[in-house]
Amino acid sequence: MFSIETKSLTKSFGDVIAVNDVSFSVNVGEIFGFLGPNGAGKSTTMMILTTLLKPTSGQALISEFDVMGNAKKVRESIGYVQQETTVDEYLTGRENLLLQAKLNHIPKNEINSRIDEVLKLIELSDKQHDSVVTYSGGMRKRLDIAGGLLHRPKVLFLDEPTVGLDIQTRRKIWEYIKKIHTEFDMTIFLSTHYMEEADNLCDRIGIIDGGKIQVIDSPENMKNAMGNEVISIIMDDSNNRDSFLSQIKKIEFVKNINEDGEKLTIFVSNGTQVIPKIFQISSDLEIKINTISLTRPTLDDVFLSYTGHEIRDDNSNFNRKREHAKMKRLRS
Amino acid sequence: MNSLMYDTYTIFWRELKRYKKSRSGVLIRLIQPAIWIIVVGNIFSGTQPLIQSVGFDGEYIEFMAPGVIILTAIFTSIFGGVNTLWDRRYGFMNKALTSPISRSAIALGKMSAISLIAAMQASLILGIALAIGVNFPNPIMIAPIMAIVILFSLGFSGISVMVAATAKSQETFWGMINFLGMPLFMLSPALFPLELLPNWLAVIAKLNPVTYTVLLVRELMTGVSEGGVPILLSLGILFAFVLVMIGLASYVFTREVNKPF
Repeated sequence: MFSIETKSLTKSFGDVIAVNDVSFSVNVGEIFGFLGPNGAGKSTTMMILTTLLKPTSGQALISEFDVMGNAKKVRESIGYVQQETTVDEYLTGRENLLLQAKLNHIPKNEINSRIDEVLKLIELSDKQHDSVVTYSGGMRKRLDIAGGLLHRPKVLFLDEPTVGLDIQTRRKIWEYIKKIHTEFDMTIFLSTHYMEEADNLCDRIGIIDGGKIQVIDSPENMKNAMGNEVISIIMDDSNNRDSFLSQIKKIEFVKNINEDGEKLTIFVSNGTQVIPKIFQISSDLEIKINTISLTRPTLDDVFLSYTGHEIRDDNSNFNRKREHAKMKRLRS
Repeated sequence: MNSLMYDTYTIFWRELKRYKKSRSGVLIRLIQPAIWIIVVGNIFSGTQPLIQSVGFDGEYIEFMAPGVIILTAIFTSIFGGVNTLWDRRYGFMNKALTSPISRSAIALGKMSAISLIAAMQASLILGIALAIGVNFPNPIMIAPIMAIVILFSLGFSGISVMVAATAKSQETFWGMINFLGMPLFMLSPALFPLELLPNWLAVIAKLNPVTYTVLLVRELMTGVSEGGVPILLSLGILFAFVLVMIGLASYVFTREVNKPF
């Protein structure tokens, strides 16, 4: 049995296909991450899985309940923490959790102990009677997350849980997510466009770009498949560029090459032996190399190799147009 | 059914909590009806002979005070649904929609909170009316008057909740609400006796649920029955209006919030 299962899930808004034939499954108790740039289809997928949007075609199951045919059962099984903070500013922290408890039909005699428990977990017990207006962004996010797990859902959805938070707060949130995962043994499905976050938290990652899943695997396997090292080169433009590339491809140990403007990313298994050969080729072809570096692959590199562009590179004309059309549809 | 009640109460509780925290709004919202009763009540004091010609022997301000109480109820309740738009914009709605509560409960919870708030505002206006010397011969009548105001506002807030769920923007919402609110108020005997309206306007007024509510409140407040409509008929029409609005608002709200915002 899977916690989440989708079969050829597709969602289009008019002629824009936001989610394109997406099939994947998430095991019980797993932390699964959707990694992709803005507009990749992460939030749309999550809105389908949480019963907020109906898919155009395909099927999605949460704990074996169909999101279309059995929406009520699905809603009873999930917690959903949205990208924006949604806590009520006028209410105190505790009142917010009380509201969440009532919305999720937690039995009356358990409400108070559950609230105390999650408040302790997210370390907001001493602020619980203050209005949320006085909370910082990180505190609000923590409260939001606490609200999502109060009713101990089988699957917790976290949509970009640390977007807009500073790095210390982000790390703190990661700690809470790990703590939640071990303490309540929930399946967690999160979406993010931060490599570090996916790498840090997830058992497995699905890379999604342009509405399609490019690859699903554990971060470790992904990085290993890349070869164990990455050479990055920034070079001057040259007419000999194509022959430079084709000659590098022939070097032993070179697994894959990505071009992104003047930057070359070369995935290799034995970098220290490849670098001298690259210099040899470049001096033969009179190509000027400005910088060269040898690093361990990161998920950034993985993303680049599967999608052909970097994750920050989400303001391409295509993506902008796509995003614009999608938001227009959603709002009209 | 039980869980619908529980869920409705959850939303009702949340709306009232929010209202309590924004108390400064209470006074601001009283300004307009206060101006109506003080200024308009005196501007038209010369119409007393007209009022008397339909069997009402008090001053004009006493005739129109029930109208202004209903005005307060109309506008408090028809504006009350606007936070639905905020809820959809800022995620509370999605939070509620992904929880197991029913969509109708969200609409009904909002409506019941709005109607209670409208009744509180209306009672403050009644207080102002008494303070400026409006005669209220039978103070015990305050209980049925408030019950009628609560009922009426419950029905009227349905309009607001429906418009808010259908409108995607503040501009659309306010446009629609202003288009609906003023005519519904004007096309009633709130300011002027039904008998003195031109025929075609009287026909329209008789189709307006506001008319019957004004007649009921006026009769309870002043003891003068006006317009020749029996109390039971007015009550029946009011109840029917409320029931229809509850059903319609639950249906429209559920249909609209299931669409992406």
